[in-house]
Amino acid sequence: MALVRVVEIDNFRAIKGLRWLPGPGINCLIGPGDSGKSTILDAIDLCLGARRSISFTDADFHALDFGQAVRIALTLGALDDPLKNIDTYGDFLVGFDVATGLVEPEPGAGLETALTLQLTVQDDLEPEWTLVSPRAQAAGRTRNLNWADRTRIAPARLGVTGDVHLTWRRGSVLTKLTDGNADASKELTRAAREMREAFDQKELEELKEPLKIVTAAAGDMGVPVGAAVQALIDAGSVTFTGGTISLHDEEGVPLRALGLGSSRLLIAALQRKAAEKATTFLIDELEYGLEPHRIIRLLGALGAKEELPLLQVFATSHSPIAVAELSAYQLHIVREKGGRHMATRASDAGNVQGTIRAHAHALLASSIVVCEGGSEIGLMRGLDQHFTASGETSLSACGATLVNGNGDETFSRALALQSLGYRTAILRDSDKPAPAAAEATFMAGGGRVFAWGGGRALEQELFAALPDGPVGELLELAIETKDRALIEAHVKTISGGTKALGDLETEALIDGLSPDSRALLGNAAARFGWLKTISTMETAGRAIVGPAYGNSDASLTSVMDGVLDWVEDGSR
Amino acid sequence: MAAVEIDLRSISRGLVIAPAGCGKTQLIIEALARHNRSKPILVLTHTNAGVAALRGRLERAGVKPSSYRATTLDGFAIRLISTFPQRAGHDPHIVNGARPNYEAIRGSAARLVAAGHLNDVLAASFAHLFVDEYQDCSIRQHSLVTWLAQSLPAAVVGDPFQSIFGFGGDPLADWQADVVSFFPIVGELATPWRWINAGARDLGNWLLAIRPDLATGRPIDLRMAPGGVEWIQLDGRQDDTLRHAAAAVEAPGETKVLIIGDSTDPRGQRRFARQVEGAVTVEAVDLRDLTDFGGALDLARADALSVVADFAENLMSAFSADDLMRSVAAASAGKLGRALSDIEQTAVRFEASRSLAQVADLLAAINRAGGVRCYRPAVLAAAQRALQLAAGGPSFRDATVAIREQSRLIGRPLARRSVGSTLLLKGLEADISVVLNAGVLNARNLYVAMTRGSRRVLVCTPTPILNPPW
Repeated sequence: MALVRVVEIDNFRAIKGLRWLPGPGINCLIGPGDSGKSTILDAIDLCLGARRSISFTDADFHALDFGQAVRIALTLGALDDPLKNIDTYGDFLVGFDVATGLVEPEPGAGLETALTLQLTVQDDLEPEWTLVSPRAQAAGRTRNLNWADRTRIAPARLGVTGDVHLTWRRGSVLTKLTDGNADASKELTRAAREMREAFDQKELEELKEPLKIVTAAAGDMGVPVGAAVQALIDAGSVTFTGGTISLHDEEGVPLRALGLGSSRLLIAALQRKAAEKATTFLIDELEYGLEPHRIIRLLGALGAKEELPLLQVFATSHSPIAVAELSAYQLHIVREKGGRHMATRASDAGNVQGTIRAHAHALLASSIVVCEGGSEIGLMRGLDQHFTASGETSLSACGATLVNGNGDETFSRALALQSLGYRTAILRDSDKPAPAAAEATFMAGGGRVFAWGGGRALEQELFAALPDGPVGELLELAIETKDRALIEAHVKTISGGTKALGDLETEALIDGLSPDSRALLGNAAARFGWLKTISTMETAGRAIVGPAYGNSDASLTSVMDGVLDWVEDGSR
Repeated sequence: MAAVEIDLRSISRGLVIAPAGCGKTQLIIEALARHNRSKPILVLTHTNAGVAALRGRLERAGVKPSSYRATTLDGFAIRLISTFPQRAGHDPHIVNGARPNYEAIRGSAARLVAAGHLNDVLAASFAHLFVDEYQDCSIRQHSLVTWLAQSLPAAVVGDPFQSIFGFGGDPLADWQADVVSFFPIVGELATPWRWINAGARDLGNWLLAIRPDLATGRPIDLRMAPGGVEWIQLDGRQDDTLRHAAAAVEAPGETKVLIIGDSTDPRGQRRFARQVEGAVTVEAVDLRDLTDFGGALDLARADALSVVADFAENLMSAFSADDLMRSVAAASAGKLGRALSDIEQTAVRFEASRSLAQVADLLAAINRAGGVRCYRPAVLAAAQRALQLAAGGPSFRDATVAIREQSRLIGRPLARRSVGSTLLLKGLEADISVVLNAGVLNARNLYVAMTRGSRRVLVCTPTPILNPPW
């Protein structure tokens, strides 16, 4: 019916400037808190909605600067016939190039014929809707969409409550389902008359006496009232307005009394049924009031998995479930950069689908630390738990999230996330050299790389940097996790048969481990993966590294402090 | 009229041959009347007057205006290229110049549509395309229509026997090679409704029957024609007298007469109109005499009175510009020796203060004078309107052009007795047609001339055998 192809917003609320190309199906807007997601939804609603007027206030101007006009322009493609009519809209038809996202001033072969609808608000706060095209502007011609066309393409909006939609009233999905012309008023008028008649036929015992008195008094004064006055329902007092008829369940309970989630689900399903008549659907906080499995059902109802979606949906979300359930091309990350807003389609960053599925929460964070493997993640988590327990701000509270780089994919994942605009850092071992080109690109894009010194892997670093007691505890943890015999064998192998586990344990208890012995253990731990699960390293971080942090060597703490400071900077 | 044999809406690409008076307009009206889809049918014809006439008929037939969009081919072409100027890539001057360059306009529009830029827009805007009077399509107009037909089902209506236009740089499309090869003939109307309704079925049938003869160059013998056809035999000695008599044929009541002269001799037509009592000319839409008057009249120049007088002499009988000039000159010298006539008084007042209002007064005074008859009322009325318009702002020259453009849009009301050529009278019909010089007309002009009269046709020719070239 009509698809929003281009969204342009200037000086509206949170947004100074934005140009965005949404997709045909679900467009889920994600991004940090005040990034302007709801502003985009409101902008589409205000520009496309069939309202004769809206009251704007100074607060609707970006930064309250009412000297700069609010401008919202939507370029609509996939137009139906009435919208492409040459006599009605000929001067305003433009051509949208699906491949480049550019709008040419006239329709053309190979282009999609489109219309640009613009809402402007000047400092007089009067909204003005017009169609715009360069040639019409040059010729000073203006016109708006016909009212009929506007109501036809008006979006439905599912706000936080959807009560409106479960009644037959203007703009509700039920009204759309009944083709906009459910002649309820006739039925209502008839019902009102029947009600009056039913009432009139009742003998009203309580009113008999006063009626007699009135009749008598009227007779005394010669007021003509006939044989007897009656008490009837005043015709004017039984009137019905829009929204009088609403859906009820079998028991007669209004459906709007359903739980929030249920009513939202039902409305979304109905909207889909009405998709032939209204194709644009706006949803604030799509997860609102829904359990995880119902979020997934809602997304299904909206056409998340359809090749050729019927509805064009604009939604905002903060739910990792929704993020994981949607495809990268359905996710648009909204953020502000250099005074302008950007909405980037997640799939534009290349193949990030795997990263998104595995780390849906990452797309909802403001800072991302891509860790080379599970061990680093475990350590970070463990340390975080330790520091949080001692009253420091947690990683999550700083808006940071940890992503597993899966070893060799560390840089590609970090680059992908960086290109989506995320503040990204890498925490990695340095036993293998970093891919130089990728590292350079990442650094040039503002990324930070944190790596252990001296070509060490994490295990090597820990065995080198922790004080004597905690190193012993780390060894105990390894033995506990792996089995003593195995650890013994590993020590033997790495030392070339020169050292036994027992020797090292004694050494640790008496003199403290020598640098050589620490290196030996670090090598064995790294080589045989003694601590290589997230949970083991998490325990190590929480119970061993954290408490010993203050006494550990700077080679460990300077790197960790770097990461933690970087995270904290991101929350400011 | 009823009984339409063909539904134009069922034709996705094709041509219906429509001989004169066989219900062609009715065919279009009935198709439009039955059309009740959401998109209108695009109806294209050639002249603004034709569009106005069609709209009038449709309105009287109660056809919803939303079911059709009627305009001229050239108007539609201008609309297309002006709406999408960048794609059309034309020089705006061809539309906005002093005289529109229709050849260039048609060419640009055809190229615009051919490039496929508007395929979906056209298909979204119209349900069907009808083109009327297809025989009058130039090669460029035909090209535009064929490209429109790529996006729209197209039914065209025309009659090669009525193809009498075609001059200038944009030749007519060749009927066989261009038109019929693209629009296959779907059918031919065969009931002469115009004559049946006038109670002259025989005449109608005869006019249909001579078509094959005209097409193949076989001679037509007027003596074999039914009673409605009268041969006025010219004898070479008093031809003018005989023609005058024919032109003055009795026309009681509301009977209308069309007098058809030689299209190459507009002066001759005017002479007839001046001489035959009650006759007026049918004017070409360009109203050249009006715009020439607009260009020539300059109130500041000494000759202004003479320009007005010459203009008047050209429209009205029994008025001499020279006489007026002489008496005004004499009067100003104080040597006239008699009282001034009404015309002379107005002329003197004009000379004294020279205003457009006085030009209007002078023309009115001449028209009012005893014995004077205006045989070109269309030009006089247009001049009076232009004078009025010029009083409100634009120069008189611009006003004459504006009035000409307005008149293009208004159908011409037919006087009781009108003189014109086949070119001017095509599309008009009367009860009686008088063909002043049948011998010089080609087959198509002759056919058009003879089909103008629904009850009687008077044919002036030296011999009863007509064998016109195609």
